[in-house]
Amino acid sequence: MNAPRLHWPGWAHLPRETRDTLFLLVVIGWTVLPHLWHLPPWCAVLTGIVLLWRARLALIGAALPGRWLLIGVLMMAAGLTFWSYRSLLGKEPGVTMAIALMALKTMELRARRDAFVVFFLGFFLILTQFLYSQSLLIAAAMLVSTWGLLTSLVLAHMPAGMPSLRQAAGLAGKTALLGAPLMVLLFILFPRIGPLWGVPQDGLSGTGLSNVMSMGTVAALAQDDSIALRIRFEGPPPAPQDVYFRGPVLGHFDGRDWTPLKPSFPEPLRPGAELRVEGTPLRYEMTLEPMRVSVIPMLEASPATPAIDGVRVALRDDLQWVTERPLSERIRFNGVAYKRFRHGPQQPMIGLQDYIDLPPGHNPRTLAWAAELRRDPRYAGADGATLAQVLMNHIRSEGYGYTLTPGLYGETDSRTAIDEFWLDRKLGFCEHYAAAFVVVMRALDVPARVVTGYQGLDPTPVDGYRIVRQSYAHAWAEYWQAGVGWVRADPTSAVAPDRVLRSRPLVAPPGLMAGALNSVNPEILASLRDGWEAMNNRWNQWVLSYSRGSQFDLLQRIGFSAPGWEDLAMLLIGAFGVLTLAGAAWAWWDRHHTDPWVRQLDRLRAELERMDIRAAAHEPPRTLAQRVRGQLGESGEPLAAVLDRIDEQRYGRGGATHPEKRLTRDFLTLADRLRRHPGNTPTGSGTR
Amino acid sequence: MTRTARTRGRLRRRIDAWWQARSPRTDSLLLTQRNVYILPTRAGLMFCFTLIVLLIASINYQLNLGYLLTFLLTGSGIVSMHMTHGALRGLTLHLRPVSAVFAGDTARLEAVLSSPDTARYGVGLRVQDSDATTLSYTDVPAGGQALLHLGFITTRRGQQAVPTLNAETRFPLGLFRAWAVWRPAMTLTVYPQPEHPTSPLPPARFVPGGQVHARATHSGEFEGVRGYRRGDPLKSVAWRQSAKAMAGGGELVSRDSSTRNQPQLWLDWQSCGNGGPEGRLSRLTAWIIEAERRDAAWGLSLPGREISIGQGDAHRRLGLETLALWSS
Repeated sequence: MNAPRLHWPGWAHLPRETRDTLFLLVVIGWTVLPHLWHLPPWCAVLTGIVLLWRARLALIGAALPGRWLLIGVLMMAAGLTFWSYRSLLGKEPGVTMAIALMALKTMELRARRDAFVVFFLGFFLILTQFLYSQSLLIAAAMLVSTWGLLTSLVLAHMPAGMPSLRQAAGLAGKTALLGAPLMVLLFILFPRIGPLWGVPQDGLSGTGLSNVMSMGTVAALAQDDSIALRIRFEGPPPAPQDVYFRGPVLGHFDGRDWTPLKPSFPEPLRPGAELRVEGTPLRYEMTLEPMRVSVIPMLEASPATPAIDGVRVALRDDLQWVTERPLSERIRFNGVAYKRFRHGPQQPMIGLQDYIDLPPGHNPRTLAWAAELRRDPRYAGADGATLAQVLMNHIRSEGYGYTLTPGLYGETDSRTAIDEFWLDRKLGFCEHYAAAFVVVMRALDVPARVVTGYQGLDPTPVDGYRIVRQSYAHAWAEYWQAGVGWVRADPTSAVAPDRVLRSRPLVAPPGLMAGALNSVNPEILASLRDGWEAMNNRWNQWVLSYSRGSQFDLLQRIGFSAPGWEDLAMLLIGAFGVLTLAGAAWAWWDRHHTDPWVRQLDRLRAELERMDIRAAAHEPPRTLAQRVRGQLGESGEPLAAVLDRIDEQRYGRGGATHPEKRLTRDFLTLADRLRRHPGNTPTGSGTR
Repeated sequence: MTRTARTRGRLRRRIDAWWQARSPRTDSLLLTQRNVYILPTRAGLMFCFTLIVLLIASINYQLNLGYLLTFLLTGSGIVSMHMTHGALRGLTLHLRPVSAVFAGDTARLEAVLSSPDTARYGVGLRVQDSDATTLSYTDVPAGGQALLHLGFITTRRGQQAVPTLNAETRFPLGLFRAWAVWRPAMTLTVYPQPEHPTSPLPPARFVPGGQVHARATHSGEFEGVRGYRRGDPLKSVAWRQSAKAMAGGGELVSRDSSTRNQPQLWLDWQSCGNGGPEGRLSRLTAWIIEAERRDAAWGLSLPGREISIGQGDAHRRLGLETLALWSS
């Protein structure tokens, strides 16, 4: 009944411990927040409840729950994790468990050790964010988190009084800022080595090209405005309609899905890549975002194997550049492309049979339509090029339409999906056209295959780079022509020339939010987006794509002829050695650094002591002068006069900041003479 | 055998001498590069372990941002080492005079920490070998001073050196602990522990030639004044007369106790029963306190030492100090 009432007195009026705990809870909440999008909902709810509960306990000053309750909740979280992922190992379950653990650990902040566990778990959680995204936004958010955690750590070590959050944040920021040069040094020089052991491949999520094409996959990409790759050309960029990035080549059709061909013929009988290029080369530099597939979408047609650090790239027979594993990191490489090229065998060979295979029992009406075309006397004995032209004309003239939302095909019977599209509804986008085109070509006994990739470029360069987005994903067809080889045919261009010609990306119906934004002012929005993307690009170029290659480039530029990681290690050790020595030198200097006046006085006193004139450390030069006069009388007068001048110089009006070296020297010479001829009035000073 | 023992003894002496030379006893200690020590804490090792985990994760997942995070924390950690050391370096510790206490009571130390330059946070002091492991913390403002109170429980009577103190800080991140050892030169008088419960005071006795009659209670009548003398108890100051006198440019006036009738006690070692010397000293201590409480004049008689009849703070201090330092 009499539950303690919660009320918020404001940050400044909270008791110290309550305030610190609440601040830490806020920081933890902020750190976990971006994870909520890729976590099972129960984990988000559990974390939220636990953090709020802990905040309430802190506010009313109640006791923390017992250990058994926490263990119970932890077991429950483990059970739910297993239920969600069918495993407790791997990235997703690991992150989920770490978050649950972190939330529950806040319930156990008893000793200093517990607090440290929370801090260090927090740093680990920050890192797990980067598994999902290393974007500028996440980086900024996590920088705030790091700052917050460091602030909490600093607060915990300011036990006296009630330091303000701002003060602690300032001190934490100072620590981090002073550490930043070290961070930069380590970041630049720390040798980048490959993964120490196999990384579970679930690190690759998100959309992108795929090795399987079924109806609707490219449409999903059309919704995705994120960046697939950036390209910078040496010289003028090619026209957008010529820009095809060749991704996975799908030569096998099982009636529903298109997949890469597994050749059924032995090696010598298969058609090879046989790329032949001519004309002027077009050099480019490409930065490729992480891919879901192990194919590098090279600009058509790039004959040279791209040199990518730590990645082996091979050319397959169907002219795709494949890597051993999907590229989980952003890569950058240089390539050369030729606009005019031919590839594939020029003469028919048995291996081409694989490319006219069609699944039996599928799309009978399309096959019949093709057979009818075949019987047309006009096309008796026509070659691939002629037939392709006929199909293009058919698409252009028979009322086909281009739309991203054609609805589903093959709903009633998946085996007649192409029939429905080609003969009945005639509405679709690139993948429908490419698939139907290839099926019809094969039905006409012309070897053909689907090629997927990206087509087009952003019209305006950003920071010198042209951007290719996931929404530029495209599918087109290739057919084989005797005497020529494989020829590209893009049936989409027949129905929607805009899509290819002006490289207008597939436009998805705008969502509610995007619609509202677009209605504000498209131009401002576009320029904002361009600025943002330029910044993002710099971020990618400078930070995220910094790799072993960049390190070696850097070493080469500073004079290493054949840099290796040993050089990096040596450089790093050397840099740290220099820093340590500098630190030691500073410490030495600091110890020996005394006020020059004090140093001078020490010297004067030591010299006088050799003449048996004793003085205490605090006595100023004029007192020394009196002693000299008292002890040496007339003969000491010149020495005393110098001492008076030194005193005057130091304490007199317009006193100097540093002792004058000449006076010290005069004093030393006089003292030396006096010591050698005691009692004699030194010459030079004269008698008055 | 004896030779090794002698060598060992010599070695120990040399180490001790070296240590003494390194940290001479002083009431005012400037912390410098030479006398501030620093080592990582357990949390620092945990932090190191966390960094390794973060680094391995960054390598394995090829996370450049992970590298950045790891190295940012590494840099902050290294900087924090310098900051921890710097929080003590340059600080001056000064011990204020310590007042005497009874054995078994807590002696209160007051240390002044002054920073000539920057502000220092979370600087703690503690008595080195005390059971209490908690430090008393303070912040020292830039160019200013801070006062810290420390206490330690005294066990035996006598003139004692103030125990070795430790100054310590873990600011800012707690990854390192910097500390300094301070051996103050100041000594502290510890009076014997008063007997508890106090046994009854010995009967008052006539002093030969004295005109004072012992009575259990004094009349409280005002009988005469004289000029204030150092050591007169405050309660013997005749405040009204003093005020008048001071208004006329005079000074404080005390009641002249010699003309008053007061109990006069001889606190005698011999009359302390049969306890051991420490027990007797305890009893005498309690008696002095009791006599002062009752405003009685008292004298003290120890074997080989006698303090004549007197009264007041100075007299009390003299008596207690004599007891504290007494040795047969």
